[in-house]
Amino acid sequence: MSQFDSAIREAEAQVRESRQKLESISKSFDAVEQAVGSESEIAIDIENATLEDVHAHNEAMSHSIAELIIGLDEVTSGFSRQFDEMRQKSGWESFVGIFSSAKAESMREERIRMASIDDKLQDLISKSDIIVKILHDQLNTLNQHKDKVEINLKSTLADRETVVAELEAIKAEILGMDPRIIELENKISMEQDPAARTQLETELAEINARYNEHVKDEQVKLAKSQTLERYIEKGKSWIDSLQNQSATQMVLINKLQTDTKQRVVLYDALTKSLKTAQQQDVAHRINEIGVETDKQAQSAMAAIGSATQHRMAEMMEKHEDQMVFARKVLEEKAKSDERFARRFADIVEKHDKNLYGGGAA
Amino acid sequence: MEAPADKPESRSKQDREAGSSGASSQAATRRYFDKFERIVGYLQSLAETHFRSSADSAVVKGEADSISGYLGGLSNTFAALSTKYLMSGLVTSGARAALEIDRSDSGFPVHREVLQMASDLSQADRHLVNLPGREQIKSEIVTHILREHTIPRRLQYALSQRIYYENLMQQQLFLTQNDPVLSWLGNTGPSRRRFLIHWAVYDSQRNLPNIYAMVVEDSGGRPLHRDDERWPLVQQHLMAQSLSSLKLLTIARGFDKDFPDIHPKSLKRIHIGPMYSSSFTTQRDDIQKLLDEADGEPGQDWLLVWTTESLHSKETKDIRSGLFGSVSQEVFALDHTDAAAFEAGASRIEPSIILPYRPFQALLAGRAPSLKRYKRYVVSPDGTVLAGA
Repeated sequence: MSQFDSAIREAEAQVRESRQKLESISKSFDAVEQAVGSESEIAIDIENATLEDVHAHNEAMSHSIAELIIGLDEVTSGFSRQFDEMRQKSGWESFVGIFSSAKAESMREERIRMASIDDKLQDLISKSDIIVKILHDQLNTLNQHKDKVEINLKSTLADRETVVAELEAIKAEILGMDPRIIELENKISMEQDPAARTQLETELAEINARYNEHVKDEQVKLAKSQTLERYIEKGKSWIDSLQNQSATQMVLINKLQTDTKQRVVLYDALTKSLKTAQQQDVAHRINEIGVETDKQAQSAMAAIGSATQHRMAEMMEKHEDQMVFARKVLEEKAKSDERFARRFADIVEKHDKNLYGGGAA
Repeated sequence: MEAPADKPESRSKQDREAGSSGASSQAATRRYFDKFERIVGYLQSLAETHFRSSADSAVVKGEADSISGYLGGLSNTFAALSTKYLMSGLVTSGARAALEIDRSDSGFPVHREVLQMASDLSQADRHLVNLPGREQIKSEIVTHILREHTIPRRLQYALSQRIYYENLMQQQLFLTQNDPVLSWLGNTGPSRRRFLIHWAVYDSQRNLPNIYAMVVEDSGGRPLHRDDERWPLVQQHLMAQSLSSLKLLTIARGFDKDFPDIHPKSLKRIHIGPMYSSSFTTQRDDIQKLLDEADGEPGQDWLLVWTTESLHSKETKDIRSGLFGSVSQEVFALDHTDAAAFEAGASRIEPSIILPYRPFQALLAGRAPSLKRYKRYVVSPDGTVLAGA
């Protein structure tokens, strides 16, 4: 049980860490957003490495949550032990059985009458609740970040549009200046009068200065647009990754809740039918005859015993099915983990490609 | 006190066919709990007027007290569940899923909901530390409404959860297991004491509350309520044996056998439910039909069944135990002519129903023959409960 506690602490610590990482990334996105607004130099410090780090960490986190879920299975194996105990004689009972089978049988009956799994069910529910809560918290954080980044991204897209429009305007202006410059240059080459020539040259110098300014402006705008483009690409993939993470969380939550529901119902029904099958008819028959002789009671018990044995065997077989089911849950879990990792690999790859390919406005 | 609630639109065919499914919309959840609160209220007034006033002995008085105690707990439990699920369906992500009701059988919330509530209770103090206080949430709600001009669902949800956990901490609840309580009835001999033991469980097989009451005679060396050795064992034994699938006879005999110096003299079990309602449940056909026919007004389309099983000892015999000793053993009265009771391992079975007067009229007109044997209690339009013909 304390193993479960330490596993929970570990998972909680990892969730906290992941939250910090998310926070820091969101902050860098925020910083970009502010830089765009204030027209100052935009420095993107969202390195690939940071994103990858977050991904790796998330995988580690989902791993320890998976471990928690496996820890739950340890709790549930406690149930099957109890079912076995109810079905079989304990060591002491079989020892007593050597001398008196009736005594051993009645000891076992007494034990069954005392058996209850309600506290174990409670334990199962509260443990699965704890895990679900961790997952839920994480899911909420992810969604919050996603919302925030989405809003940021939207305004950045708008920003980029204005930058691109400005860029286009400057380009058009530059294009518009070209014929004027050529015309001036032609005039200068043909002009013989030094005074007029000087005037034309001054004019040309002015236009050239303006032209150069525009070209410089164009470059600045182009750089800004490219930076924003890269930022948008990163933001998009970041949202993708957040979406994927929250999908994984939701899958886990859903699975865990369904499992717990089914387990509670199943274990409860199994215990109760075991208990009922063991005692019911015996009491009915020996209400009146039991007081007369022990022997009749014994034979009654033996007859009923063999009948219930069969029923219980059937029930235990059903229980086996449940164990198969539990294994299947784990397999599905492994599959979803795999899917998770694969998805992330895709995103990281896509992300890298776009980073080097993008940029042209 | 009338809060007409049930709208016919919730009674679509689809609704009925969905087995034990969630009352998904918030309005449906509210109506469901509203209805339950009223029904439990009627039961309580019934316990007050019809049973306690006619109580002739200490046993019956004690039983009536314990029953109204459990009914009070039940009503608190439903109130708590209703705040827990108040916002279900309105808050999308992260909120609790809808309440699960056993529609096809008991009409009560499924056992797991109550179990879950007990688990919530064990963590309530932690939640209360984390959640902001009522006043703070309320002022946040006001701020949100003034600033954003939208309905602050998330804050409303937070408030509902806050109230839920506060209710859990403060009120007496009906849990899945309500451990045995002992009360002393008097002495029947020099070292023979009579006790009434009562306890209750939320039965997981039928999703119904069961109340147990047992009268025992204690011939042990120390009085049972001061005996630190036997009393905890007695409690554990009784809780572990409280299954609706066990016959009363089985429970009583098992108890008699495991505790040689405690003699069970009578054992009573009350199954509260099932609840039938034309808008929420989908059970036996003739009752459903009865309710459908009677359904003219909202709030008039329900019916609650409760069944009292009782078993009492008819004699005591001494049987040999070991080489020299002897143990007294109870022989319980089983009536061979009453097939139903005999089969159920009880001396007597008394099914009763409580219903509003409209369906009662339909019942008198001969609908629902399966209810013929039932003792009837009718809620008159002004809310008083009368014993029916």
